[in-house]
Amino acid sequence: MKKMIQMKRRDLLLPMITIIATIMMLFLVTQSKAQDNPLKEPQLSKEDSLGNEVEQVKSDVGLLKKVKISGYIQAQYQVADTAAAKSYAGGDFPSASDKRFLVRRGRIKAAYTGKLSQLVFQFDISEKGLSTKDAYFQFTEPFLEAFSLRAGVYNRPFGYEIPYSSSQRESPERGRMSQIIFPGERDLGASIVFNPPKTSRFNFIKLEVGMFNGTGIATDFDYKKDFIGHLALAKSIYDEKVKIGLGCSYYKGGWSQGTATYYQGITTLTNGTKAFVKNVGSVHAIANREYIGGDAQFSIETPIGITTFRGEYIMGTQPGTSSSSASPAAQPQGSATTTYSGTASGNIVIPANPADTTIHVSLPVTITATTTTPISDAYLRKFNGMYAYFIQNIKFLKTDLVVKYDWYDPNTEVAGADINTIGVTSANGKLGAADIKYTTLGLGLVYHWDNNVKIMAYYDMVTNEVTNVNNYKRDLPDNVFTLRLQYKF
Amino acid sequence: MKRLISLTAFAIACFAFTAATVKIKGSDTLLPLAQKWAETFMKTKSGTSINVTGGGSGVGIAALIDGTTDIATASRKIKMDEKLKLQEAGKTYKEIVVAMDALSVIVNPKNTVSKLTREQLEGIFTGKYTNWKQVGGADLKIVAYSRESSSGTFEFFKEKVMSKKNFASSCLMMPATGAVVQSVSQTKGAIGYVGFAYTNSKVKDISVSYDQGKTFIAPSLQTAINKTYPIVRPLYFYYLTKVETQVKPFINFVLSAEGQKIVTAVGYVPLQK
Repeated sequence: MKKMIQMKRRDLLLPMITIIATIMMLFLVTQSKAQDNPLKEPQLSKEDSLGNEVEQVKSDVGLLKKVKISGYIQAQYQVADTAAAKSYAGGDFPSASDKRFLVRRGRIKAAYTGKLSQLVFQFDISEKGLSTKDAYFQFTEPFLEAFSLRAGVYNRPFGYEIPYSSSQRESPERGRMSQIIFPGERDLGASIVFNPPKTSRFNFIKLEVGMFNGTGIATDFDYKKDFIGHLALAKSIYDEKVKIGLGCSYYKGGWSQGTATYYQGITTLTNGTKAFVKNVGSVHAIANREYIGGDAQFSIETPIGITTFRGEYIMGTQPGTSSSSASPAAQPQGSATTTYSGTASGNIVIPANPADTTIHVSLPVTITATTTTPISDAYLRKFNGMYAYFIQNIKFLKTDLVVKYDWYDPNTEVAGADINTIGVTSANGKLGAADIKYTTLGLGLVYHWDNNVKIMAYYDMVTNEVTNVNNYKRDLPDNVFTLRLQYKF
Repeated sequence: MKRLISLTAFAIACFAFTAATVKIKGSDTLLPLAQKWAETFMKTKSGTSINVTGGGSGVGIAALIDGTTDIATASRKIKMDEKLKLQEAGKTYKEIVVAMDALSVIVNPKNTVSKLTREQLEGIFTGKYTNWKQVGGADLKIVAYSRESSSGTFEFFKEKVMSKKNFASSCLMMPATGAVVQSVSQTKGAIGYVGFAYTNSKVKDISVSYDQGKTFIAPSLQTAINKTYPIVRPLYFYYLTKVETQVKPFINFVLSAEGQKIVTAVGYVPLQK
């Protein structure tokens, strides 16, 4: 019986497959005929059909051309003079190490560029995690094509070094001053850019002015918004053999003070020690942040390669704290302190042995720890700083020879041995590590392997002012050698 | 074993074929000339393949930087920014002047104006003059055509004829030289500028004066060679030194007497020995 059923099933299977296959074939033939039927759809000539396909491909390629994905990775090995060296060449070294590998930057950028608009996202991916770098759009007006509106997170339009790409820069890092006054380079805001199109004789002018939070990529913590403006002129002369660029920048802003006390100006105490003048204002008054800067670039073609000189000088007033002159990303706070309080609701137990002098307390005993983080007073310092590059390209070696010198003096009102804390009471503010001037001389070689790969060997020689503040009574051993491999696409 | 040898030989042959392919990209002005050179060269050197495409001088040099062309053709000199980009990419290049080109100012054949001073041309393209009667013609609106800003011809005309002044916003920017010729031939009040080799019977050349109207010179091979026609410019080849052995035979041909004969035949100005 079973066999019979199996036989029947087999017998049925074949005709069923045949029927399904026939139906499918009929369906395909019908479809094919419907497509071939000149009455239903007009027959296109081979040329027209090809033309349509080409137009379709052109349209698709045109869309794809508007989207550009790019990025680069900078992997590096660094050696410092000592373990735990404080450094602006990629951050402080670990407490027990003077050598390290790190991915300094791992950038991925996606940009959509229309005729008069642009949308950009950029992220940084490294061992430290994923962070946003750019997220902005730009729209150019269609009449003169000279004015653009940009808004989002992007490089502050101040000076030359801040917006200059890290993938192109001839030294591993920006100067110390740039890193301190503009940490992370970016800020949240909106700006208007004036840059006439290439067809205009005024194409060499670029003016950008905008309002920003002033706190970098972090969420703003106060009501004050900062103004940033940069005017740049760039022109090639002498039959494209020389290029000159000049620029000036202005920054006006600040942040809301968390306390009424602020320190500004330097006084000499009776014992000869210099200290900050203590002032009393009001809570939420604005600590003034104001910079003015000038930058210049000069490139000339020589028989061995292009020679470039580049420099920038910035001076102004920087609000910070007693321990740092860096621009804060959040309301500046002092060091946390913890106080302990306890209650014993039990009884004191009299020891049975009179020789036992220990006090015995029966439970319960409650201990409460209270940690308080005071809001920092503002310290306003007059500062200045600069950087200068000399870059000589040796074209037959595909190599750049780089010499860079920079300084940052966070407090121009004091210098060297004046930076002292002896005899300074709470009536004044103490000078300290945040007031020390640093100079850095960097020497480097950059080998341009091809469009994608660049190898950099660079040595930073860092010198700090010798002061009378503990730990800074000598030049610290904090020179850093960097060997970097960059892949860009 | 035989199979292995055959496969190796085939691979080498494929490689040799690939190596013999030269890609040329860039100036639209140079396009007809480069095509003719390539055509003639490929006939004489069998097994050589040369691909020629246009797009504009800027596009050609960008392709050289990206490594997507072997030779960039340009109707202007390479810019400092482009040199810096090549330096950043670790590339060294060579520049060669391969021919000269006279730039013709063209109008519609029905236009009665046949000569203009440099100052008048400047006035027309900056928008100062908007009617042909302002420059001695009929009462007819001027329609000015220009190449796009990525074009080397655009930059040369702006520098040499317009004293670096801005083009009027009413000026129509065309993507290719052929489009300028076509538009001028179809529009009665039109004026444009193109490489001399692009002119044809459907448009009229304008005689130009660079001495405030004392002498007017018409563009021609003779006036360009004897340097009396004032709007003449060099045309360039740019190539990377690393592909020199690959492109050298073609460049030698371009600079040879035979190559320069083609220059004249196509309507450009040959190099003077």
